[in-house]
Amino acid sequence: MNTFRRIGDRIRSTFGPDSEAVSKPQTDTPDPAAAQGDPAGTPDPPARGHDASRDRTEPPANHGTRGAEGFVGYAGEPLDGNIPDGDPLTAWARRKLEYKLISPLNRRKFKVIVVGTGLAGAGCAAALGELGYNVVSYTFHDAARRAHSVAAQGGINSARARKVDNDSLERFVKDTVKGGDFRAREADCFRLGEESVRVIDHMDAIGAPFAREYGGELRTRSFGGVQVSRTYYTRGQTGQQLQVAASRSLQRQVGLGTVDLRTHREVLDLIVDDGRARGVVVRDLYSGEIEAETAHAVVLCTGGYGNVYFRSTLAHNSNVTAAWRAHRRGAYFASPSYIQFHPTALPVSSHWQSKTTLMSESLRNDGRIWVPKKSGDERPANQIPEDERDYYLERKYPSYGNLSPRDISSRAAREEIEAGRGVGPLRNSVYLDFRDAIGRLGRKTIEERYGNLFEMYFDATGEDPYTEPMRIAPGAHFAMGGLWSDYDMMTSIDGLFVGGEAGWGYHGANRLGANSLLSACVDGWFTLPYSIPDFLAGHLGEAPLSLDHPAVQETMAEVRERTERLLSIGGTRGADHFHRELGEILYSGCGVARTEAGLKDALERIRELRGQFWSDLRVPGTGRQLNQELERAGRIADYLEMAELMCLDALDRQESCGAHFREESQTADGEALRDDDGWCFVSAWEHTPGRDVHPGKPVRHVEPLDFRAVPLQTRNYA
Amino acid sequence: MSTPVQSRSSKASGPPKAGHGGLPSVYAKLIMAVTGAVFAIFVLVHMIGNLKIYQGEEAFNSYAHWLRVAFYPVLPYEGLLWIMRVVLLACLVAHVYCAVLLRRRGAVARGRWRRRGLGLDVFAARTMMVTGVVLLLFIVFHILDLTLGAAPAGPDEFQAATHEVSHAYANLVASFGRWPVALFYIVAMACLALHLAHGVVSAVVDLGVGVRPRVFSALAAGGLLFGLIVALGNITIPVAVLTGVLQ
Amino acid sequence: MKLTIEVWRQENAEAEGRFVTYRVDDAAPEMSLPELLDRLNDQLVSAGEEPIAFDTDCREGICGTCGITVDDVPHGKVPNTPTCRQHLRSYDDGDHLKLEPFRSASFPVIRDLMVDRSALDRVIASGGYVSVDAGTAPDADTRQIPFQVAEAGLDFSACIGCGACVAACPNGASHLFSGALLSHLTALPQGRPERARRARGVVSTTEEEFGPCSVYGECVEVCPAGIPISAISAVNREAARAAVRRRRDD
Repeated sequence: MNTFRRIGDRIRSTFGPDSEAVSKPQTDTPDPAAAQGDPAGTPDPPARGHDASRDRTEPPANHGTRGAEGFVGYAGEPLDGNIPDGDPLTAWARRKLEYKLISPLNRRKFKVIVVGTGLAGAGCAAALGELGYNVVSYTFHDAARRAHSVAAQGGINSARARKVDNDSLERFVKDTVKGGDFRAREADCFRLGEESVRVIDHMDAIGAPFAREYGGELRTRSFGGVQVSRTYYTRGQTGQQLQVAASRSLQRQVGLGTVDLRTHREVLDLIVDDGRARGVVVRDLYSGEIEAETAHAVVLCTGGYGNVYFRSTLAHNSNVTAAWRAHRRGAYFASPSYIQFHPTALPVSSHWQSKTTLMSESLRNDGRIWVPKKSGDERPANQIPEDERDYYLERKYPSYGNLSPRDISSRAAREEIEAGRGVGPLRNSVYLDFRDAIGRLGRKTIEERYGNLFEMYFDATGEDPYTEPMRIAPGAHFAMGGLWSDYDMMTSIDGLFVGGEAGWGYHGANRLGANSLLSACVDGWFTLPYSIPDFLAGHLGEAPLSLDHPAVQETMAEVRERTERLLSIGGTRGADHFHRELGEILYSGCGVARTEAGLKDALERIRELRGQFWSDLRVPGTGRQLNQELERAGRIADYLEMAELMCLDALDRQESCGAHFREESQTADGEALRDDDGWCFVSAWEHTPGRDVHPGKPVRHVEPLDFRAVPLQTRNYA
Repeated sequence: MSTPVQSRSSKASGPPKAGHGGLPSVYAKLIMAVTGAVFAIFVLVHMIGNLKIYQGEEAFNSYAHWLRVAFYPVLPYEGLLWIMRVVLLACLVAHVYCAVLLRRRGAVARGRWRRRGLGLDVFAARTMMVTGVVLLLFIVFHILDLTLGAAPAGPDEFQAATHEVSHAYANLVASFGRWPVALFYIVAMACLALHLAHGVVSAVVDLGVGVRPRVFSALAAGGLLFGLIVALGNITIPVAVLTGVLQ
Repeated sequence: MKLTIEVWRQENAEAEGRFVTYRVDDAAPEMSLPELLDRLNDQLVSAGEEPIAFDTDCREGICGTCGITVDDVPHGKVPNTPTCRQHLRSYDDGDHLKLEPFRSASFPVIRDLMVDRSALDRVIASGGYVSVDAGTAPDADTRQIPFQVAEAGLDFSACIGCGACVAACPNGASHLFSGALLSHLTALPQGRPERARRARGVVSTTEEEFGPCSVYGECVEVCPAGIPISAISAVNREAARAAVRRRRDD
């Protein structure tokens, strides 16, 4: 707690009374998933508060600033992202031309395992099936359609540039790269934009009923701080519609026999032999049986790891296990500390609340955010007189008040909560009050503007926002980090590919709204089906490993041993206890704002918690049955390792960029201070093998980032 | 048709299938809808004809007589009646067969655990089998009673129709003069109302008419209204007999 | 609030199940039903007992994973609301809840409150899709779709595939699900070229896997996606249309 008081004091002293000019109000974004990137959408103003010499196109010379010496190892050679040389605008076309092909007759001789059936996984499996490959598709859900892509609301971006609002592929890339605070791979973003056109055509063709204009054309809206209208949507359920369409395409291939869809199976390990991904070991969640499957290539489309925070906007079962197990087998993990927090998530209102549902940010247009001045004030909101309320955003940033940018709002809310002024039964939220707006505009207007949101809020909390203030809190939302992959989406393990949120390439340190559905679709439908055959072509005539192969048997034995170990600890606490505690550690230590001290403290506590986990865990039942406690325990065991790497990455990266805000690195007015001289690279982490359940030593690799089309500049909200 | 490629639980056997050979359920439902519609029209016309009894004995008997000689000589004596009898009997057989078939399939598909806690709004739907059976029994009784006059269903005073004259009025009054018969008739008509209330809705939907939720409510109300009109129109007659209005 | 909860416990698919009664003394009105089960499971794990298995995922009503029968009603007492958005504020202190799995022979119990709903996917695999390969689609703007048509398609495509319609149906019919599938793809021009073919596949699998519809209308009472009742007539309509089209695909 002391740490946080200190942090709070520092923030307050940093945001002096005359520093508010920087925090320009964020344009109202209708989408809850909208990112904090360049909200005002100012077209590339000259960099301010920034050394002009940093604004250049060449990559910085220093590829390896070290921030966590003593905690981690550092590899010498930079990583090769295998990016096509030359103009990034034509890179993808040139790369596709270089890719080797496989004749249609030979395709059925190849088997590819695709893990996950979200937009990326279902798309990849279906597309490979359509091409004629043998695909084995795994999901831990009971049906492909349930993958978490289904929950995305706002929309999907596409650089179709049909309107005369001057959108273009280049502008799309510029927005994405800038939104990601120059920590994404520019060439990947070009591919993302280029293929985004076909994504809309394809998703429309397979039955996603995109919103239409009265003239019958596709309707777009403006979104997430870009000045053009390039977001395609279907009401507030774009993710669901895309996911349903994609999973039906997958079911079509299932019906045709090209895809063997294996539901309720969780991938627990990757089979690696001779440096190459050979297959996976899965657990049948219904029977508990451990099974192995081998193939010529493995694709992980297993989603993000935001659930490491226990309470997040993610689905209950989203987990990092498959990606983490691949990491432990040698796949590098890129930028694990880049996590986007959403400022208007629903707060945790009871100990047993399991998630923080998203509320649209548009509410901040009319709602006033406040906390009681007195810490620990027990009175109901409506009994707290006006002069005892602290409208802290309006106080600290008088010009922009409640519309301060997303990261500022999240950090300020956290500060108030940590200082004990949080409200609600668990004192973990701030008020978003519509009393004045209702007084000024009338209830009817408010109802027109926010009726459905108010209903949703009432539904979730049972509180009526017309009569008492809403309560909101920042919630962990999207993981920009993920398994490192080269331009061809192949990880550092040969034959292991990654797609969707499980990967890292497009979003840098901060995802732009409506780009997540896009990246998943592009990876699944229009990137992996090109790049995987290129890899396979070199292995024509080879058979997948036999299931008797020692590498397969050893991996299975290790999975069994690990399962047994989880079952045999015989402690006293269920897995969720550890998860909940881990979430608390991460929210405070590696949350919306990070400090060296806070991170070191979190590291220590995570290690301690991991020790407790392996000595005090209780998993009732056996492994030979459906055992959800065992499933959870395995996932949390991986989160406990993952969390440590997140903290190490955050500790190492001594700059602020996008969602990664290190308090040590901020401008005088509290903006994130990026350090392109020191940190214009992606950290890709490796773990040395380790022993038993303990990971080895983390080693950082570096892939320098080269921005050719979008010159490095400060994200500017002025 | 389905391709069970998708793997399921480790159990080798899948869930018990409601599947079946034979008549597809959608066709069974269409048959029920069409035959049900025939019955619905029949009972409406029948009811309107019945109401002629209030025009007096002569009018009623001549109506009954006309039914036998209608379209003579294009149709032979009782030709129209026999056509109707054959059509109705065929409809009845098909309707009952499909009902039993679908009920059995529904029970298999639902399995061991019946749906409980259903509200009154689906009372008519839930009791289709009960009302249907009552109606079936009633039809048999009704034919024995007023068409054949066979004991013990028919009244002792039953007089069969001849080529020249019908005694429908007297037969009817005699039959309903027995209060248990009148009561059974009233119960059967109540069942008819319920059966029609759901039957009309079901037939419209099964014939593939996509009714929006509000129209559906209106349709349900219309079905009930139709059933009540038919039933109440008929029920007046035994009541009138018992109260001495008709003698 | 204190609640008495009767829960269906069944070791596995083959085992006989039974109701077991538990008590939760610190339930709170803001808890959702899955959170109540979380709470109860925590109690059970602490006591060294095996927790209640139940399906749950997004907990915001869009993934369709959750689904239990609460006091004989699929999903729970608030109409058209998925299990994860049913909250305990609908109950009073001292209330008694009966939780059991979705009941249908087409949904065999896997364990406790979990059922196997793969029959729904087999319906989709038998034709509930549009046969367009990746990359072959025409420009989406060249296919003009009137605003209302797109909206009508959305009304049906909103289905979350939870299976509550089947569990609510006294006949175990999936007509709301299957009909929504057919209606969605029939409404949109994208689905027209294989309309009859799709209907044949979907309807015949629907009949193999599920019961016949008797137009009880119970399905629309529980459907969390608010699929309109007009969906159920699409099954018969499309089947009849396909029969008339003989061997044609469209």
